[in-house]
Amino acid sequence: MKYDVAVIGAGVMGCSTALHLARAGMKVVLLDRGPICREASGVNAGTLTMQMTRAALIPYALRAYDMWLRMAEWCDGGHVLATACPGLSVAFTEQEAAMLEERARIRAAAGAPIKIVSTARAREIEPGLSPQALLAGHCPMDGFASAYLTGRAFRPALLNAGVDLREDCAVQGVDAGFTLDTAAGRMDARRLVLAGGVWLGEMAGWLGVPLPIKTLINQLVVTERMEPVMRTVLGVASGLLSLKQYANGTVLIGGGWQGIGDNTRGGIAVKPESFLGNVRLAAHAVPALREARVVRAWLGLEAETADALPAIGPIPGVADAWIIGSVHSGYTSGPYMGRILAQAILGEAPELPLFPIDRLLAKEKAA
Amino acid sequence: MTAIWDIAVLGAGPAGMAAATEAAQRGAKVVLLEESPAPGGQVYRAPPPGFVMPADADRRAGDGLRAALAASGAAQRLGVRIWGVGGGPLVPAGEAPAPFRLDGLDAEGRPFDLTARALLLCTGTQERIIPFPGWTLPGVMGLAAATILFKAQGMLPGRRVVVAGAGPLLYAVAAKLLKHGAAVAAVVDLASHGEWLRALPALSARPDLLARGAAWRAQLLLKGVPVHAGARITAAEGDAVLEAVRVQKLQGGPERRIEADSLCIGHGLVPAIEASRAFRARHRYEPGLGGWVPALDAEFRSTVPGLLVAGDGAGLRGAAAAPASGRIAALAALRDLGLMSSATHAVASAPHRRDFAQAARAGGAMAAMMALRPALVAAIPPETLVCRCEGVTRAAIDAALDEGALSMNQLKQFSRCGMGPCQGRLCGEAAAELLARRVGGREAAGFATGRLPLRPVPMDALLGEFDYADIPVPAAAPI
Amino acid sequence: MVRGTSPLRIPGIIRPAEISLTFEGQTLRAPEGESLAAALLAAGKRHLGDGPHAPRGLVCMMGVCQQCLVRVEGRLVQACLTPVREGMRVSAA
Repeated sequence: MKYDVAVIGAGVMGCSTALHLARAGMKVVLLDRGPICREASGVNAGTLTMQMTRAALIPYALRAYDMWLRMAEWCDGGHVLATACPGLSVAFTEQEAAMLEERARIRAAAGAPIKIVSTARAREIEPGLSPQALLAGHCPMDGFASAYLTGRAFRPALLNAGVDLREDCAVQGVDAGFTLDTAAGRMDARRLVLAGGVWLGEMAGWLGVPLPIKTLINQLVVTERMEPVMRTVLGVASGLLSLKQYANGTVLIGGGWQGIGDNTRGGIAVKPESFLGNVRLAAHAVPALREARVVRAWLGLEAETADALPAIGPIPGVADAWIIGSVHSGYTSGPYMGRILAQAILGEAPELPLFPIDRLLAKEKAA
Repeated sequence: MTAIWDIAVLGAGPAGMAAATEAAQRGAKVVLLEESPAPGGQVYRAPPPGFVMPADADRRAGDGLRAALAASGAAQRLGVRIWGVGGGPLVPAGEAPAPFRLDGLDAEGRPFDLTARALLLCTGTQERIIPFPGWTLPGVMGLAAATILFKAQGMLPGRRVVVAGAGPLLYAVAAKLLKHGAAVAAVVDLASHGEWLRALPALSARPDLLARGAAWRAQLLLKGVPVHAGARITAAEGDAVLEAVRVQKLQGGPERRIEADSLCIGHGLVPAIEASRAFRARHRYEPGLGGWVPALDAEFRSTVPGLLVAGDGAGLRGAAAAPASGRIAALAALRDLGLMSSATHAVASAPHRRDFAQAARAGGAMAAMMALRPALVAAIPPETLVCRCEGVTRAAIDAALDEGALSMNQLKQFSRCGMGPCQGRLCGEAAAELLARRVGGREAAGFATGRLPLRPVPMDALLGEFDYADIPVPAAAPI
Repeated sequence: MVRGTSPLRIPGIIRPAEISLTFEGQTLRAPEGESLAAALLAAGKRHLGDGPHAPRGLVCMMGVCQQCLVRVEGRLVQACLTPVREGMRVSAA
């Protein structure tokens, strides 16, 4: 029995790709060495903001934003409590204000409806914001999701579409043609999609393709339930803060502060200095946060390419092999990236351009 | 504070007190950290300043350990909340292990941190309560909680008390309540008469404990307190607070309704392994030792070099075994640090190893009686809350399991069970048992990833005063 | 005004002098340094607040279960870890 396609990695990229391919009639096997959406896709900050999205990715993020908000419609009822709300990116110093204005201009040019507003206006939109803000970028259509719901959201739709979902099934290697060496034995597929997040480099190595991927060890912090202190998605000019309060009252603090870990061990330890810095920045932006208790900090691994742009497209030199990932703030645009890659795999012209990886390949091929 | 300690001991119960005392007596630089304002842990918990209670055997034992500690010269940091542990193997790939680092809030609520070359975890246990209908009613408290209430605060849990659960603690609590004037409406013992008879041979290793137990039962008999053996609480009832409980034999039959304003119920003790999990030490599942315990060698070394675990947190063996285990671990740490020769170590450690072996035998029999009983988990009705912090019912957990959440981490993600402030301490055992039934046992079920903070930590204490310019914001993200 | 002598306080124990505190505006008396959880229990205040899906009261007495949360001067604390002091203003959480 030969699958039409094997997708390795059941994060949002792999799940979306697999779902679209299965619904188009392909026989799909979706494998993950762990449970579905257990890595970055399940533990990220769930920020769906244009103001932390790279300008080049804004057209994709806008379309994905719509998908997240309407997920129940296209995902058999699955949802991640996606919530639309205004977003503010805040500057506290003159230098940050200059950076903010520059970035807002670039992002607006790329299609994001971002406008610079005064402190007073920002505090009308977000009463929880510190009066020490100098100015803010305002995006009226921003939002957030509960990332931990992602696996549960995708799973039934995948099964309904006939995807052979193999969780806790590690892939050790892939031979030409493609024959996968998995924990559940050998599997054959006509096409291959690598969707393995920070492990994409190792996966590409199975095919002899040298793709350097950097691993970021992102820290996240959550408070206990507290009374409402904010109603927008907040960030800062540099991108190093994400802040949102969920309907249940918990506040999630992120922004890419680095902890300790690696591809082999995963995220193993929160760095106290990063933890403190991140939380101080959050409390500086929303002073009422000081009333809360911090309940948990954790880590997620995020992939980044050399130019911090995605790795999405055909794998050079290997027919019928594709790659998707390393998008940087990939959760935001994830479902849409999977859709357009599926289009390409099905032989259609993708709605928006992919991000071919030829530009990223190391000079020497792996032995 | 830049000086590095030889040994940091986390937890000043009997194991921690004895360990710190032993190490300090032998000249090591030891710091003992404890959340309460005084050393003692739970079983030897000291009352607040100015409270004077009649001395009993436990009080005297605790005072003895406290006196030796005070005389030893070990530094004590009392009233501190340690929220973070790090160092050791928790370093970037390729780097050598670092000294252990503890982050905490001191007695005044100010942040502090310290480093030590060795870390001895003596964090003891916490109580397990398997959910049942009405268990969230105010008036339902733990069995060990009741002990802490009258030992450390000199207070009864209620006027008319039902005491339920398993193990000798049940009878200790009931007898104490009677002695101090409470009405004990019933003792509801999960263990049958047969179980107690079978435990006798092991108990005979500790004739003093046996005598105490017999005395407790005699007091209950004298006062006409009904003892329901092989029975469980099927429900707690009341409007806004507890008013009555229902009792039924484990094998079924009629339910009895007993009025009470207090239910003291405990289903065993579970080693507190948050810190050892945070270090990614290896653990193993040992029902006879209370469940998940760190994997330790004969001298209580974990699989993380420099990290040792002693006392009940290393596995339930009872308060009598705890000081010996603390001393054994402290001596092992000293030898590993090069502060003691092998020869000296062997001589010093031998008597404590003998003491430990003997004390552990009786403690082991009791642990078996207090082990989790799967029937209690099976009996949880669908609409009963399992996770109190997040309001997750048994039905919601079963639904998550049905939908493919087949690990503790995934169960958390699918149901939110364990995501609240207690981080699974109240619900974790029941949730793990429910998962275990689907995946073939507790080992397969595993446990959720150990993370910081070890306890919820108030933001404003953590942050302190700071200027915006102090925040070391990393390089801006790419545009 | 609830008298300090509560039937739940075990006799024969020497305790520090009583202080006054309030819970939800009602004045209670308790020996200084007694745990707030115990003091409230002694005064018949078992219902300490409401969690999202169930009432809360003290359960573990050792700072682990997060069920004895109350507010002291508006700040969230665990009652079992908080000794009572003169003039403490406590409210349900």
